[in-house]
Amino acid sequence: MRALILRRLLTALPTLLAVVILSFLLMKVAPGGPFDSERALDPATEAALARAYGLDLPLHEQVWRYLLRVAQGDFGPSLVYRDFTVTDLVAQGLPVSLTLGALALVAALAIGIGAGLFAAARAGRPVDHAIMLAMTLLTALPSFVTGPVLALVFALWLGWLPVSGWGDGRPAFLVLPVIALALPVAGAIAKLTRAGLATALAQDHVRTARARGLSPLRVLVRHALRPALVPVASYLGPAAAGLLTGAVVIETVFALPGLGGYFVQGALNRDYPLVLAVVILYAALILLFNLIADLAYGWLDPRIRG
Amino acid sequence: MKAARLPVLLLGLVILAAIVGPMLLPWRHDAIDWNAVRVPPGSPGHPLGTDMVGRDLLARSLAGTRITLLVAAAAAGVSLLIGVAWGAVAGWKGGRIDEAMMRIVDGLYALPFMFVVILLMVLFGRSILLVFLGIGAVEWLTMARVVRGQVLALRERPFVLAAEAAGARAPAIMIGHILPNLAGIAIAYLLLTIPQVVMIESFLSFLGLGVQEPLTSLGILVKEGADDMDVAPHALLLPGGILVTILICLTLIGEDLRDRLA
Repeated sequence: MRALILRRLLTALPTLLAVVILSFLLMKVAPGGPFDSERALDPATEAALARAYGLDLPLHEQVWRYLLRVAQGDFGPSLVYRDFTVTDLVAQGLPVSLTLGALALVAALAIGIGAGLFAAARAGRPVDHAIMLAMTLLTALPSFVTGPVLALVFALWLGWLPVSGWGDGRPAFLVLPVIALALPVAGAIAKLTRAGLATALAQDHVRTARARGLSPLRVLVRHALRPALVPVASYLGPAAAGLLTGAVVIETVFALPGLGGYFVQGALNRDYPLVLAVVILYAALILLFNLIADLAYGWLDPRIRG
Repeated sequence: MKAARLPVLLLGLVILAAIVGPMLLPWRHDAIDWNAVRVPPGSPGHPLGTDMVGRDLLARSLAGTRITLLVAAAAAGVSLLIGVAWGAVAGWKGGRIDEAMMRIVDGLYALPFMFVVILLMVLFGRSILLVFLGIGAVEWLTMARVVRGQVLALRERPFVLAAEAAGARAPAIMIGHILPNLAGIAIAYLLLTIPQVVMIESFLSFLGLGVQEPLTSLGILVKEGADDMDVAPHALLLPGGILVTILICLTLIGEDLRDRLA
């Protein structure tokens, strides 16, 4: 198991390093520089500015400096929010985004595994087909459509929940964003659980458990569910990516002060340091999630631990 | 094609409407009717109403569908090209080269695609060409994996070995013997890629980072509808409904085809 984690870390770190370097180089190639303006600058001033920011150094030197700064958590000043460093903005937005993402992941796992179990318990009957069709439809629903539609129905028409805003993190404000974010992921998890259960139910140890006269529910939950969850665990990485991406749109739709909102504003205003920081941070989070998925893997299926 | 008949029919209708519709309507998608600002569905001259500045919603939705489908087709084409080429070379060459190429795919899988595409948009300006090139450039990974697996299996088959023994060159075997046998599964995965691509395009356009006015896409329309939904809910529900219909139909058709071929 330790060897597996080590091996994963050894592939994750170069990937992250490559992301940082590539995004930095892309930013260098992009047209337009920070000191371009209507009026041509006097060459001496320009040279002084370039020297002050280290822009006159050879490229590999600049990359190295950027890497060192990023390693210390310093992403430089924001070009748009003048009084803040990018690190400040990230520190403000990240807790909101993480709360949203974590709740959505829990909701998606609960709905997905629940629906998968429910369908498998009625395998082959119309309920099974109906649930799985509904779950397939869920995976095709984009959160930027479900979000506004949920807000329209439950907030504007029925008036049960607030339309948007953070409300200092009060639960009522989080219900709709979390559901809108969780639904597509829940659909995918349900399909994986259902498929996993179909395989697991055909295995010898499950047949034995059934032959011993255990109740169908007990067989399903105690004996079949664990091996069936292995594909779900391997989906955690892509699920995290989906949730982070969806959060960008959900935070915009529901006006939540998370990282995604800053990211979109940064992207629209060409705030390079901010956009770069969020891309790097999200890449790191997704790699971390892949690692967690590997750990879950080993816990669910002892054969992988070797 | 029994199970997927309804989605095929529905999708065909949507595509037909997107192609023919704009020619039949009296309003262009960006024409403003000052006498009918934000009228509800069923108003004279505007069967599905108008938006907040008096543009016909039906015309806008059809024009948006057209752009969304065009971008999706182009981006899916780009991803097909890269994916098949990458997978075919890796599967054919085998050994070290295969190993290295698939490692790169594994590494790329771990990246936050959407953010990479957005980064590209930010750095190189927002043009529709970049939208589909960018999307195509990140959505080829699954295709590459599937194609590689197929090529790996195909190259041991007797007819390929026979062609090799007869002295055919690698490119000839690839084009004459391997690609035709790949086509089915590649098309199934292409169909599953298209909803992904539609999703990314509308996502970007929703955020204002994809297709730009005066062109319109379903993502832009959903965004405009969401901003205006308290007074004109139909402006959200119509384009949102079309988008969801397209996504659901494509997903159902793609999964059906894949299950049939796998």
